[in-house]
Amino acid sequence: METEKNILARLAHLDRRIIFLLVAIAVIVPLLIPIGLPVDITEPVKNIYDKVESLPEGSVVVVSVDYDPGSEAELYPATEAFLEHCFRRNLRVYMLGLWPAGIALGNMALRTIAPKYDKKYGTDYINVGYKPGGPVMLLSLGRNVADVVKADYAGVPIDSLPLGREVKSARDMALVMSLSAGDPGVLHWIIYFHARFGVPVGAATTAIMAPQQYPYLASGQLLGLMGGLKGAAEYETLVKRRGRAIAGMDSQSIVHALLVLFIILGNIILIYQRGRR
Amino acid sequence: MKRTLPIIVVFGFGFFMLVSFFIPIKGVQDTSQTFQNWYLGVMAFFVFIGIFNIIKINFEKIQRRLRDWEYSIILLVCLFIMMAAGFIGGPSGGLFLYFFRNFQIPLGATMFSLLAFFVASAAFRAFRARNPEATLLLIAAVLVMIGRVPIGYWLWHGFPNLVEWIMNVPNTAAKRGILFGIDLGMISMGLRVLLGIERSYMGGGKE
Repeated sequence: METEKNILARLAHLDRRIIFLLVAIAVIVPLLIPIGLPVDITEPVKNIYDKVESLPEGSVVVVSVDYDPGSEAELYPATEAFLEHCFRRNLRVYMLGLWPAGIALGNMALRTIAPKYDKKYGTDYINVGYKPGGPVMLLSLGRNVADVVKADYAGVPIDSLPLGREVKSARDMALVMSLSAGDPGVLHWIIYFHARFGVPVGAATTAIMAPQQYPYLASGQLLGLMGGLKGAAEYETLVKRRGRAIAGMDSQSIVHALLVLFIILGNIILIYQRGRR
Repeated sequence: MKRTLPIIVVFGFGFFMLVSFFIPIKGVQDTSQTFQNWYLGVMAFFVFIGIFNIIKINFEKIQRRLRDWEYSIILLVCLFIMMAAGFIGGPSGGLFLYFFRNFQIPLGATMFSLLAFFVASAAFRAFRARNPEATLLLIAAVLVMIGRVPIGYWLWHGFPNLVEWIMNVPNTAAKRGILFGIDLGMISMGLRVLLGIERSYMGGGKE
C-alpha cells in the first residue's frame, strides 16, 4: 500500500519529457512495425464515395484546397484519395483554393495522380489557383465564373483551356469537395454556395473541425464528411488505395490509447490527492 | 462628415446588398454583381497591404532591436527568397516548389505535430474529473478518442456506431445551440453596423 502511494506521488510530478518520449515512441514504432488494425467505414465517408460513384462520366467536380502545410499530414492523403477516385471514374476536376498555400499542395496531388490515369491538363483537370474574397467570391463564382476566373494558377488565359471554357457557372458543377482546415473553407461552401446554387457539397476536414460539421450533415446541407486522417483512411479503404492515411492509422490508434491511459492515470492521481487531504 | 459619410456609404451599399438577395430582377442582380466585383478587387489589394505590413513591422523590430528581433531577420529573408522564387519561375517553377516541398511543408507539419505532445501532457495534468459536468465531458472525450480510431473498432465493433451517435445527437444538439447563438449575434451586429449604431470599425478620431 505504501509502495503504491509512493508510485502515485512520484507520478504526480512526472517530468513532461517522459510523456513526450512515450508519445514519440507511440508514433514512431507503429510506423516502423505496422500492426494492420482494421479500418471501419462510417456513413458520412461512404456518402461521399457513393456520390462520386453515382456521377455520370465527364461530370465536373470542384475540388477546393482550403488548407496549408500545417494541415498537410491530415488533409493531403484525403486530397490524393479523392482525386484518384474522380480520375478513375473519368470525372473532370476543377481545382481552386481559398487558402494561398493550398494551390501548391493541390498541384502536387494532381501531378501525382493524374498521370496514373493519363489525364491531360486543361481537358480533364484544371487548377485556377488561389481565389480571395471568401463568401463574395463564391457567390460570384456560382453566378458567373468569368467574373472570378480569368486565368489558371500559372496565368494561362482560362479561355484557352477546354475545361475552362466549359465551366461557366454553378450549373456546370456536379459536386464541390472542400478540403478544409478552417476559415474560409467548408462552411463558406455550404452557406454561400450550396444554399444559393444547390450544388452538393462534400468535405474533408481536420479532425478538430469534424464535430462542427455534424449539424450540416444532419440537415443534408453537407452530403458527406471525411473527418481527419481517419476519414482519409476510410476513403483510401473504399477506393482500394494503400496510402499515407491507412499507414498512419496504427500510430494514431496507439497514441489515442496512450492519451486515454494518461487521462485515467491523471484522474487516479487526483483521487489519491483528494484522499490525502 | 468624417463619420457621417462612411455611415451613409455602409448603409447604402449594405442595405442594397441585403435587399438584392431577395430581388431576382436582372438589373438589380447585375448591379449587385458589380459591387461584389469591386469587393474582390479590394480584397486582392489586402494581400499587398498584408505583405507591406509584415515587412514594415519586422523591419522596425530589427531597427529598434526589440525582443526576438533575430527571428524577424529570418522571417524577412525567407519572405524575400520565396517571393523571388515565385517571381523568377512562377508558382509552378522548380525553385518555388523546391522551397515549398522541402521547407514550408515540413516546417508547417512540425508546428502542427507539436500539438500531439502538448495535448498528451495536458491529458495527464489537466483533464481531471473535478465535478459531474467535467466527468461527463471526459467520458465522452475518451469514448470518441477510442471509437474514432481503428483500435476502437478492433476492441469492440460497436464503438464506431456509439461514437457516431455521440456526434449525431448530443454533439449536434450542442453545436446547433451555439450556432443559433452566433448567428443571432451576427444578425444583430450586422444591423447595428448598417444603422450606424456600431461605429468601432471606423476607429477613433473626432467628427
